[in-house]
Parts: sequence; C-alpha cells; structure tokens
Amino acid sequence: MPQSDVALAPLQEWMQAVVTHPSDVYEAADAADIAVDDVILPSQTLQPIQRVGIYHGMYMLRMIEALTVDYAAVAQFLGEHHFEHLVRDYVQQFPSRSYTFNRLGDSLPAYIASSSMQRRTFLRDLAKLELAMTHVFDEAEAEPLPANAIASIAPEEVADARIIPIPALRLLALDYDANDAFQAFRDDRPMKPRRRKTYLAVHRRDYGVYRMPLTREAFVFLEALVARETIGSAIETFHRRLRRFPAQSELFTWFRDWSAAGLFTAIEVE
Amino acid sequence: MNRFNFPDLGIGVGLRTVHFSHILGSQPDVDWFEALSENYMDTGGRPRYVLEKVAEQYPIVLHGVSLSIGGTDPLDFDYLRKLKSLARTVNARWISDHLCWTGVSGRNVHDLLPMPYNAESLRHTAERVRVVSDFLETPLVVENPSSYVEFATSTMTEWDFLAALAEQSDCGLLLDVNNIYVSSFNHGFDPNVYVDAIPADRVVQVHLAGHQNHGTHIIDTHNDFVIDEVWKLYGRACGRTGDVSTLLEWDADIPDFPTVHAEARKASAFRSEGSRESGAGGRKTADLRSPTPDSRPYSEGPYAAV
Ligand SMILES: [Fe+2]
Repeated sequence: MPQSDVALAPLQEWMQAVVTHPSDVYEAADAADIAVDDVILPSQTLQPIQRVGIYHGMYMLRMIEALTVDYAAVAQFLGEHHFEHLVRDYVQQFPSRSYTFNRLGDSLPAYIASSSMQRRTFLRDLAKLELAMTHVFDEAEAEPLPANAIASIAPEEVADARIIPIPALRLLALDYDANDAFQAFRDDRPMKPRRRKTYLAVHRRDYGVYRMPLTREAFVFLEALVARETIGSAIETFHRRLRRFPAQSELFTWFRDWSAAGLFTAIEVE
Repeated sequence: MNRFNFPDLGIGVGLRTVHFSHILGSQPDVDWFEALSENYMDTGGRPRYVLEKVAEQYPIVLHGVSLSIGGTDPLDFDYLRKLKSLARTVNARWISDHLCWTGVSGRNVHDLLPMPYNAESLRHTAERVRVVSDFLETPLVVENPSSYVEFATSTMTEWDFLAALAEQSDCGLLLDVNNIYVSSFNHGFDPNVYVDAIPADRVVQVHLAGHQNHGTHIIDTHNDFVIDEVWKLYGRACGRTGDVSTLLEWDADIPDFPTVHAEARKASAFRSEGSRESGAGGRKTADLRSPTPDSRPYSEGPYAAV
C-alpha cells in the first residue's frame, strides 16, 4: 500500500513549486500546500527535505548557467553575485516555457530596462546586443546574393526593387556603445559603459556571427530595406528622417559592403 | 537482438559542441553518434549544419530531454512535429527520451524530474508513450532516469514500473547502467536485481556515464570516467541483451574527443563484435571539414569595434 495517496498532477504541481521557489528549500517547503514528509521518503542518509533540496539547488544553477551562456558579457560586467541575483528575479517573472533553453533569455533586455538596477541602460544595450547575437546564431540559413546582383538591377527597375535580407540579420540602435564594451569583454579588457548612439548590423555568414558598425545614415536606409520597403521608398524614408537624400556614392558603398557581407538573399521587382 | 529489430550500432559517443571541429576535421572512427534533440530542433545555424554533415557519415540516434512523457500537461505536438522532422532529416535510427516529467502548467524546469511509481502514473505514462510512438511512427525508446527522491505514493519498484510500461505501451528501453547505479546508491537497492528484471528483448540501447559521489548521495553529473561498478553492471546487462548499441555520455568538464572515445571503447571488452549494423562506422570519402573554423559560440567579425 502507498504511504500517501496524493495524485500525480497535484504531486507534480507541488514539486515544481518547491523546486523553483526563489528562496531556500526550507522556505519553499513551508510555502507549499503539501508537507514534504507526507510525499517524500527519507533515505538512509538524507531527510526528505534534503532530497528535494538537491533538485531545488540544481534548478537555479541551471538557470544561471543557461543565461550565462547567452549573456556572458552582462554576467561578467555584473559579477557573479549580482548576475545570480538578476537571474533569480528574472526567472520568477519569465520562467522557461519552451522545450529549449534558447528562448529563456528573450525578455532579459526589457526586464533589465524596467528594473531599478544601476547602469541599467548600458546593461540593457549590452543585453540587446548579446540577444541579437544568439538569435542570429540560430536563424535559418539562406544563400546570400552574389556580390554583383544588386548592381545588375536594370536602372528603370531600381526604385521598385525590394532587397530581401537574410533571416540571420538584426539591426540595433543603442544609446550606449555596447559593441565597444562587448569587444573589450572578448579581448579580456575592462568593459567601460560609454554613452554614445551606436548602430549595428549583427549578421551571420558561413555560420559565424559578425557585428558590423553602421553610421546613422546607413542604419536608417538599411532599416527601411529590412522593413521590406522598395529601394525608392527607402530613399524617401531616408529623406523624411534625415532631411536629405542619400548620395549616389553612399548608396554605392552601402550596397557594395552589405552585399560583400552577405546581408541579402533575394531581389524582388514589382 | 531486440524485438524491434533496431540494429546494434556498436559503440557511440554523444555529439557535443566542443568536439564539432575535431569530428568534422578528423572523421574519428566512431560507430555512431547520439545527438540531443532539443539542441538541433530550433536552429538553422552551425549546430544544425554540423549535425547534418555528421549524419551523412555516421548513424545518428536522437535523444531528448524535454518530452516530459510522465508530465500531466498535455503533450506538446509542436515539439513532436519538430522532433519528427529532425529525425527524418538526419535519418535517426530511433528516438529516445527519459521516464520523467520536466514541468507542469506550461513551464519547463529543464530537469528530468522523477515519477512516483504506481498504477495511476503507469496508466498515464503508458497512454502517452503510445500516443507519441504513433505520432512519431516509431516505437519510442524510454530511458531509466537517475533520481534523488522516492515518493511515498509509489507502490512498485522502478524496474517493475519500467517493465510494465514497456509491456503496456510496447516501447523500447534505453538502459542507463550509470543511472541504475546512481539510483541504487541513493535509494539503497541492489542494482543487479534491477538489471536482472529488465525485459532484455526490449533493450535497444545502453548508456554509460560518470557521476559524482558526495558520500551521502550521488549526483548524475556525466563529468567523469565510468567507474568499475558501472562497468560491471554493463557487463551484466550485456550478458542479458547480447551485443547492444552502447553510448558514453560526457556532458560537463568534457575532455578532448580522443579521451571520450577511448573511454567509450572500453565497452568493447564486453562485446563479441562483428554484430553491429552493416556499414556503421564505415567512413565515406566526402570532405567533412568545416568551411569555417570552430567558433563557438560566435566568431569575431572583421569589423573592428569603434
Ligand atoms: Fe543517460
């Protein structure tokens, strides 16, 4: 005969509540609606609470480990103690709801921004950059356009042409130079939060992830293309936002560099 | 041979990111690889590219950690669709996951949480295994987990539960002899009794791994060499199953590939050889080398930071 008749569903609800509780396992057990000793047996060496405590301890370690992989620079900047604190709070509000860890950190930049953390704007931007890198790392692969494809569009069709970006491309407009900070992290130098408008294209080529700094002008134009505007419309958008038209030489340089970097996968002409 | 006619693939190694470059570059003489399903289901990036390349050269088995076959949330058919599609792409020889649950109320704790072993949980799990096997169009292969608690609601042993589950749901078994050892230490039972009670004709695969002994309990860390007692259990299991697809799991503090492979190859001392799937381990001549250097997780761009 069983020593308890708690059904499977409430037993799992109970165990999840205890295992994922943010404070220690004793407080977790106190907060739960079933007494640990009623559902868990002791071993020869451990009490029921100690046995459940193994799962409780490992839960937060796994969350910290997973988010440290995705946010290595944020983790380093904050230091172990503060990063663990951040993760503990974050997973309370945004626990994993996916079969993969890949989505666990998706809300971290917004969470940091809405927090009362010191340096939160810088940390938000650094987190945005790291999130963009993980997204780009996992995006679908697409064959990039040949280098001369855009230059080969017939002149009368240029205005109505849409240049389709590869899926593994993210554009970032940041208040802090997170790219500089991230590079410092990679080079094992101290990260210095520098407030400076920063524009980046994060993209993948041959399965490697790259960070391409952009001028504000290039960003505005590329952002319009990524929003599936035609080249003609992107030029209008550029004019509306910057109160001038892009120079021929600018357009030439941008398309040359972006094609060489493999940012586009197709051309659609209406 | 098992009753499903799943082949004996020989001695394999778990496919891990830190070994990607070595595997692509030197095409080691490994019989087969086991890939963690969830690491490849949602990516179009380098992991997926590498897996597909490896699958051109080696037999692949998919091993999952998020199916939650014992969970009380509804089965996730989006997950199962992606799993089935990945299995087709890499010609997975079979698909396995653990006898466990991973979360409820829509959450994933990302742990292999233990089941109580009683009539209710058996009925529940057997039904789900049948649904999953039907959906995947292949018998699910279920692995015995390692665990750190025993439930007061249990009415049967894990080995009796597993045998009944296999019978009622017609699933295959992945016998993890390290997990048997870990649980036997944590719960104070005789691991030999467990091995002897398993229906041998349902064992499709065996797992080997290292663990960490904390004196009062053992944690299943997969971060070390296989201990002698676990090798003995492996030998005992092989005595019952005959030569069986065998895989070494090494997931933390992972040494270089030759070290992991050499540890796995120790299993050959317990095998008669010559019975594995024809062609398994045979290399083709295609160039497996990566077009880019391994750059986990990110390569540096050519664009200097401002
Ligand atoms: Fe295992």
